[in-house]
Amino acid sequence: MGKEVLVVNKLNMHYETLDGPVAAVKDVSFVLNEGESFGLVGESGCGKTSVAMSLLQLQADNAKISSGSIKLEGKELVGMTENELRTVRWDGISIVFQGAMNAWNPVAKIGEQIREAIREHRPDNTKEENTKKIEELFNIVGLDNSVMDRYPHELSGGMKQRAIIALALSCDPKVVIADEPTTALDVVIQDQILKELKKVQDLLGLSLIYISHDIAVIAEMTDNMAVMYAGSVVEMGPTANIFSKPKHAYTRLLLESTPSVVGERKKLRSLDGEPPSLINEKKGCSFSPRCPEPTKECKNQELDMKLVEVSKGHFADQCCVNCG
Amino acid sequence: MSKKITQQEELQKQIRKDALRKNWKLFSQSKLGMIGLYIVCFFLFLALLQPFLFITGIWNPAIYDPVVGYDQIKAELLVIECPKEYPTEKYESYSDCPGPGEVNIKKLYMAPDLKVGEYYDTFIQPAPPSKTHLLGTDSLGRDIFSQIMEGSQVAFVLGLLSATLGVGISTILGTIAAFFGGRVDAYLMRQSDLILMLPSLPLLFIISAFAELKVWHLAVVLGVLGGLGGSVITIKSQALQVKVKPYVDSARITGGSKWQILFQHILPNVAPLALLFMVFSVTGAIASESVLSFLGLLNIDMSWGIMIYLSQTDGFIFSGLDFWWLILPAGLAVTFLAGGFYLVGRGLDEVFNPRLRKR
Amino acid sequence: MAEYIIRRTLQMIVVFFIFLVTSYLLFNAIPGNAFQNLLLNPELPPDAYERVLKTYGLDKPLMERVQLYVVNFFKGDFGYSYKYFPKTPIELIAERLPRTLMLFAIVNIVAFYTGFLVGKILAWKRGSKSETWITVTSVFSYTVFYPWFALMMLWFFGYKMGWFPIGKFLYPEKWYDAPWDSDVIFVLMIKFTAIISLFQFIAYLLTRGIESLTQRRNIRFGSLLVIFISSYIFWNYGDALTKKPYAADIAYHMILPVIVVTIVAFAGTALLTRTTMVEVIKEDYILTARAKGLSQKRIRDRHAARTALLPVVTSFIFTIVTIIDGSVLTETIFSWPGMGQLLLQSVLEEDIPVAMATFSFVGVFALIAHLVADISYSYLDPRIRIKSQG
Repeated sequence: MGKEVLVVNKLNMHYETLDGPVAAVKDVSFVLNEGESFGLVGESGCGKTSVAMSLLQLQADNAKISSGSIKLEGKELVGMTENELRTVRWDGISIVFQGAMNAWNPVAKIGEQIREAIREHRPDNTKEENTKKIEELFNIVGLDNSVMDRYPHELSGGMKQRAIIALALSCDPKVVIADEPTTALDVVIQDQILKELKKVQDLLGLSLIYISHDIAVIAEMTDNMAVMYAGSVVEMGPTANIFSKPKHAYTRLLLESTPSVVGERKKLRSLDGEPPSLINEKKGCSFSPRCPEPTKECKNQELDMKLVEVSKGHFADQCCVNCG
Repeated sequence: MSKKITQQEELQKQIRKDALRKNWKLFSQSKLGMIGLYIVCFFLFLALLQPFLFITGIWNPAIYDPVVGYDQIKAELLVIECPKEYPTEKYESYSDCPGPGEVNIKKLYMAPDLKVGEYYDTFIQPAPPSKTHLLGTDSLGRDIFSQIMEGSQVAFVLGLLSATLGVGISTILGTIAAFFGGRVDAYLMRQSDLILMLPSLPLLFIISAFAELKVWHLAVVLGVLGGLGGSVITIKSQALQVKVKPYVDSARITGGSKWQILFQHILPNVAPLALLFMVFSVTGAIASESVLSFLGLLNIDMSWGIMIYLSQTDGFIFSGLDFWWLILPAGLAVTFLAGGFYLVGRGLDEVFNPRLRKR
Repeated sequence: MAEYIIRRTLQMIVVFFIFLVTSYLLFNAIPGNAFQNLLLNPELPPDAYERVLKTYGLDKPLMERVQLYVVNFFKGDFGYSYKYFPKTPIELIAERLPRTLMLFAIVNIVAFYTGFLVGKILAWKRGSKSETWITVTSVFSYTVFYPWFALMMLWFFGYKMGWFPIGKFLYPEKWYDAPWDSDVIFVLMIKFTAIISLFQFIAYLLTRGIESLTQRRNIRFGSLLVIFISSYIFWNYGDALTKKPYAADIAYHMILPVIVVTIVAFAGTALLTRTTMVEVIKEDYILTARAKGLSQKRIRDRHAARTALLPVVTSFIFTIVTIIDGSVLTETIFSWPGMGQLLLQSVLEEDIPVAMATFSFVGVFALIAHLVADISYSYLDPRIRIKSQG
């Protein structure tokens, strides 16, 4: 349980494009408690990365948060000035990027880039203090100290990813967002990295937001989770509950589309169609066009999207609770 | 069977048309590119206007021909007597008297019976802008506006010809150097080193000393020199980046011959950069020509550089704003046309390089 | 790396050899020769012309002359100037080089720095209103018709306003009683500038290791102060004091050409910087930098601009190559008797030894500069390390 470290309430974010506003995040709310890990699942383009970017207010120039609040330990982040945000970034919330390949500046050494982050938030540290800190971090993620003097292109993918984790931890942040940190890696390394993350989390008592489209990883890593579709949260609750009793049609389909190594061999169910275009918001449930067995209200787009509590702490969108 | 082929051809044509339209839309979004395009079109219009005016007889070639035309502008000059001491209330120094529109009685040998205060009819050259001559005439009585138009023709021919030639050569050489590497690369690099070593201005002077340089010849010389020089190195580095892309490898694996790969894959991907280069080369070519003409090294009849050269040898350069029409139009023309091409290049840059686009 | 340099040097020698022969042939292709003007003199004794030609060896067949020249060249004998006999080309070059060097070193540094700064800011301000008109202004200052522009500036500031001298590099009146040649003063000024720049550069290098940002900035600022103070002391006391008025005279004459050339030259660098930086900005590591909480300025300067530095530095090196070539125009217009003017004049007057010598100088310079550019590029971008290149 513990106290609430991050509270996101009805966050709305859209991109302004030449063809009109594109709603990327619609009424997203969730709570992150201290020491727990929260998973965010969905297919590509469902808005999970947009949520992550919004938390750090790192989105592109044409992205705007239209409403909602993000409170980090009680401090409201939406509406902060750029200077205020800069102090929060990395120190309060940090992020482990998806493609570690390109996240590093190719012409600077790894150590220098980590040092830069530390220097920004702890300007009074001496060089030795920082070096020691980096060595500690490398120890945690399983990297050799010599990596500090290497250039990014001299490291393998796995090493770069570990270094990114080290970078994310460098300022002792309260929340770490891991945005698909293992997608580009092979399964063996993936397993290692995941174990590292879990170890780090237990060790440092971190609060982790884990974003992925890989449901298996989420199952392994997270305590609570939310399923996103087309910019909205469609189901949210403790991971165990959702896996054992998925309420939303979409969640169910997601779970059923992953083959299981053990157990009987089932025919995989896949989902036809594509996620809707996010331009020009439509009324009603955005999933209903693809829902295999929609109710009458869903089909007629009469029900708006709203989360209702189906059991303790377990929420699902009112529409598809009754479907599928 | 043939239906399928024509269908494919149709499809390809459609794709190409769509691509062209899309590119144009992108280009038109670039403010800089459009400004450049307007400027270039303006000068193109001027270049085409002149023969049109002659052919349709609106302009009499005897008067308006930029090289051999001649017009006498009548003017009345007030006869005055320059004071012996300066400054007076009218003139600040010795060189201010006689001012424009005036003539010193001491200089009037031909009309001894004119007195101070009367008017002296004469022809003045160069003449300031007037209704018949929009930009005035030069010291030989030739219409300046016509000269500007002629210079525009020269600039376009010269610029485009030498740029195309130069970029054509350097693209092929640079790509070959990048693709084959090894000795071929070394040889080509040393060759461009050689050209790089030769200082361009003296070199051009030398060439102009023993060879008659008309516009076409100059274009070829500039093109070849430019093509073999430093641009080979730049194109080569770009081609190198293309060479390491995966599709080149896959082309090789599927059994394409070296030349095939070169022409079908690498060259087309270097082409956008080459096109850019070409547009920028035009800028350089126009500038080079004007400098060379300015130094009196060229054998062309008329160009913007020649205009300024003439005004300098006639001593009008330092006359300040009195004879502005002799210097300003030509100088501004060079500046703006060269700049216009550069801006077009910038617009093209945004089309070809998607990372440079705003959204 | 060493192997590469050796191989490259050998190639360079071959190229240079070809260059020598080509240049010589080119010069001789110009109709006439340096002594044609003698023939205009009606009182010239009949065989004097042939004698003159014989003395300078110009009566020998072309191939023999080429051979002789090349052989002598590699022996170190560059002949004597036809026009300024008995001065050797080396003497002439030594006389003129410092003048060009002084002027154009300053010009290039100022233009490069200004251009980089403007380009940086331009790239960062993408899409804003000021971007368009700044770019357009830069473009037109880049393409402005240089002789015309230079003459206009000269006329306006020199003649009309009288603020600056009209060409030349010193006032002859001031130098009548000067105990030194202008060369001495030039060399002194060059040494001075070189030492200052070196000092600043070393200070920059040394402070890279310092952790705290404020400390770093303070030390660098301090070094700047040290430079100011020591310059002041240097020029006002001791030996340099007597040279000061002469140096000041030269410096005063330098101001206008420096301004004019900088206006035309900075735009090239600015536009190149801007283009490279705009590409860099879209890279992912810029996003990382933002996420780290770094300030915009810091991201711009330390991350984006660093990568943009690569092509800019290479273009800078190439610009240095064309220093002498570019200086031809400027020196002619401003009557600044330097290498560029020497180059053009020697070609015009067909003073072959001098022309060959200056061309060779430029040529060697260009070759070395190209080599330096290639090496420094690999140094700046650690991804490109020369393993075995052609």
